[in-house]
Amino acid sequence: MGFLRKFLGYGGAQLGLLCLVFFLGLAAVPNAVVGPLETAGTASGDFLAPPQSQHLLGTDEVGRDVLNLVVHGARISLTIALLATVISLVVGTTIGMTAGYYGGRVDVWLMRLTDFFFVMPSFVLALVITPVFLQVMGRGGEILGFRPSLFVIIVVIGMTSWAFGTRIVRSQTLSLKERTFVDRARVAGSSNFSIMIRHILPNLVPQIAANGALVVAGAIYVETSLSFLGLGDPLQPSWGTLLSLAQRAGAASAGAWWYLGAPGLCVIAVSLSFVLIGNALDDTFNPRHRVIP
Amino acid sequence: MASTGIGAPKSQHVGRIFLRAAVTLLMVASLNFILFRIIPGDPAALLLGGARTSVTAEQMEAQRQNWGLDRPLFPDQVVDYLSASLHGDFGYSFKFRGRHVSDLILERLPATVALVGLAQFIAILCGVMLGLYAGWRRGGAVDHIVTGASLALYSTPSFWLGMLLVVIFSTALGWLPGYGAYSPGAISGSLDWLIDYLRHLALPVTAVTLGLIGQYVVVARAAMSDVVTEDYMVTARAKGLNRGQMLMRHAFRNAMLPVVTLITLNLGYVVAGAITVEAVFAWPGIGGLTVEALNARDYPVLQGIFLLLGASIVVANLVTDLAYGILDPRVRQ
Amino acid sequence: MIDCSQSGVPLLEVDGLSVDYGLKGVSLRAIDGVSFALGAGQAVALVGESGSGKTTTAMAIAGLLSPNARVGSGEVRYRGNRLPIDDDAAMRPHRWSETSVIFQGAMNALNPVHRVIKQIAEPCMLKLGMSCGEATARARELLELVGIPADRGAAYPHELSGGMRQRVMIAMALACRPSIVIGDEPTTALDVITQAQILKLLGELRSQLNLALILITHDLSVVAECCDHVMIMYSGRIVEDGTVAEIFAKPNHPYTRLLIESIPNPASGKRIIRPIPGDPPNLMNRPSGCAFHRRCPSAMAVCATEVPSLDTFGLGRVACHLHQSLTQEDKVAAHA
Repeated sequence: MGFLRKFLGYGGAQLGLLCLVFFLGLAAVPNAVVGPLETAGTASGDFLAPPQSQHLLGTDEVGRDVLNLVVHGARISLTIALLATVISLVVGTTIGMTAGYYGGRVDVWLMRLTDFFFVMPSFVLALVITPVFLQVMGRGGEILGFRPSLFVIIVVIGMTSWAFGTRIVRSQTLSLKERTFVDRARVAGSSNFSIMIRHILPNLVPQIAANGALVVAGAIYVETSLSFLGLGDPLQPSWGTLLSLAQRAGAASAGAWWYLGAPGLCVIAVSLSFVLIGNALDDTFNPRHRVIP
Repeated sequence: MASTGIGAPKSQHVGRIFLRAAVTLLMVASLNFILFRIIPGDPAALLLGGARTSVTAEQMEAQRQNWGLDRPLFPDQVVDYLSASLHGDFGYSFKFRGRHVSDLILERLPATVALVGLAQFIAILCGVMLGLYAGWRRGGAVDHIVTGASLALYSTPSFWLGMLLVVIFSTALGWLPGYGAYSPGAISGSLDWLIDYLRHLALPVTAVTLGLIGQYVVVARAAMSDVVTEDYMVTARAKGLNRGQMLMRHAFRNAMLPVVTLITLNLGYVVAGAITVEAVFAWPGIGGLTVEALNARDYPVLQGIFLLLGASIVVANLVTDLAYGILDPRVRQ
Repeated sequence: MIDCSQSGVPLLEVDGLSVDYGLKGVSLRAIDGVSFALGAGQAVALVGESGSGKTTTAMAIAGLLSPNARVGSGEVRYRGNRLPIDDDAAMRPHRWSETSVIFQGAMNALNPVHRVIKQIAEPCMLKLGMSCGEATARARELLELVGIPADRGAAYPHELSGGMRQRVMIAMALACRPSIVIGDEPTTALDVITQAQILKLLGELRSQLNLALILITHDLSVVAECCDHVMIMYSGRIVEDGTVAEIFAKPNHPYTRLLIESIPNPASGKRIIRPIPGDPPNLMNRPSGCAFHRRCPSAMAVCATEVPSLDTFGLGRVACHLHQSLTQEDKVAAHA
């Protein structure tokens, strides 16, 4: 695995992976680390108390432990960002591969659609789509095991952030389909679908992976911003929701730096990790340095 | 110098750019229409200011006729909606009863233009210069520091920087105001008023600028690192140009080509940054209005804001495409 | 090989030049003890495969070594004065005014965002101190000189054909009236007919302007058109050098012979091209002794251990053990 050694040779990749493993660990077993998520009812501390031995990161405006909130926030923020990225990559790859493989009218129309999502930022679209869908779905019940507000935000971010990946996948597919192994498969009687899945998709993995890491970073940014504006779920607070609660509680003007500092630094650390990993993947697979989208 | 044979392709190129902008704008308005019809409840009631308002049956009926809601959905209603959108008519706000959405937006627009315009200007100027310099001196000490700091800023939400600035410069040090745009009692138009306004503007502008500067540095640095490896830079060196001449005469303009494109591609960060930072500082602009509209589920206002943002982004892309055509002679063909 | 000019000093002397590239802590010797001289108005071709060091030699002469290159030993003298080829800033006055370069692939070597006339006029303004108007007038003259209507100067590089772009490169190289022009594979990217036209133009300009020409190429067939001397390089060393007529008529080094035999010759009716067996030399792992011995059909035991020196042989020079014994005999014969 020469590429793995090359990838791990980048300092940025090491730092990013290390940081990511740490946060994924927290997200996997938050209860084991800090106990169950505290609510206003189970809050254990004073209001807006600064860091102390019992509350290493201080408390919020209803006396909840900020460390507890932040660790549980890791689970929610990472779940949203990773699932949104999965949706984005599936949609982006499917559209890009279809457009590139079939060409012609299919290509023209799919790329016209892609152009729209390419020009319109995910945040702007999500800003108007999310509240409408929250209203339509209501706040109660569960969809596929998620609270509706979480589900909506995952789907909306995923469905609005695929256009960049689509362009990359399409241009790669255009060059791949001219290669001899595709002709061979076609002569051997493989269907278009099977050629795309078995012969073209495996060759797209490097580009999809490098782009995927950057999509996660973007998804975290959009989720944090939307949640900060009050579109998150206060019962399942992500880091962005925590920052929104801190803002509403006047944490900044009260000088409660711990309350807004902890979730903010987590957002930066995770987002930076994905950017570093994405850049390292890109350098590994594609020696020409590219710009972050 | 007149060059032959590139006039016709150029006008075609410009035509395509305008057509694409129009199509995108049409899609923004159509999305608005679809979303508006998905919301539960009677559209006529929504247009009159939400289901919470008490309106008589006659008023509802008048509204229906006025908006053509009694006619078929397609094409009549769609066409009506799109034409109303183009005229800036989004009906009335739910929250600010009886007020036109377009009036609300126009009222809030100047504050946002001041904030975003100033922040964009500073961020692009400083970010692009720093990035080009880092790419030109790739691998040097300045490059390492600038790139590291930019990646960290690139990953940092602007509004969080804003909260941090409030904690430090407003709460702890007390140097600058961290809330609103004016102090109470200031007389509009006086010099004191202007200074007061600028003092209020300082922290929000810093937050938005810092949030944007990182991405411009990253983009400009990558563009310049590509340019310095190009063959024409070897030619420039062989011609006996010094480093400064190579940079200004040959590297700068070529490096600006991808930068111009990528700046518009990152407009989402500008919008997200501006809206959230306005929310932090209670800045009386579009961002503040967005938060109020979100909290009150004031859909007509949200849709008006969405169309405004969409139109700004489309215009920004249009300007970029046209500017690119002037900067790069190759795309005119 | 060189007839000296009136002053007795050749225009250009390369003396025992070695250049190393630093690559991740490893030092690679790209050229090793290259020596030759060039008189005013002479044309010499540097021929070899990629990695033979021909381009490094040319770039060293032009003072365009990359930052990770280091001059190991030897020097380059221009009109008898040592050139500071490892000092980027000190070489600046020399560049283009004395030695200019015609790069390969003019599409990439020309700046895509400037009109070609501006690119030709640029060195006239910066190096010769001409005004904008004077420089433009000079650029128009140069365009006519290389066979392009002066009005086409308003075009951008992408609006010209490959041959036209290469002509622009040539016009640009002549801008400051240099005494040496280096052609770095100037015709590689062109079709055969355009290639012939460009070579003819170079030959004409050379005699018209009394230019010394150094032509870098991997293709022996383009040499005869416009050069009088040929130097064959292999793995960083000159292995044979002589006049075009001699080398083609009677190649002395086995590598040269194989190179000549590998030229496709439709006139002779031979349809089969004979490639040289084995792989081109690897700088990371240069064979001991004569670098060519593993591919050489006439290799002897001594070839694997001792580096043959480049000795005078006949009217030229050759570095081959086959001829070193002969050289000894010749010398003995001369003594007797």
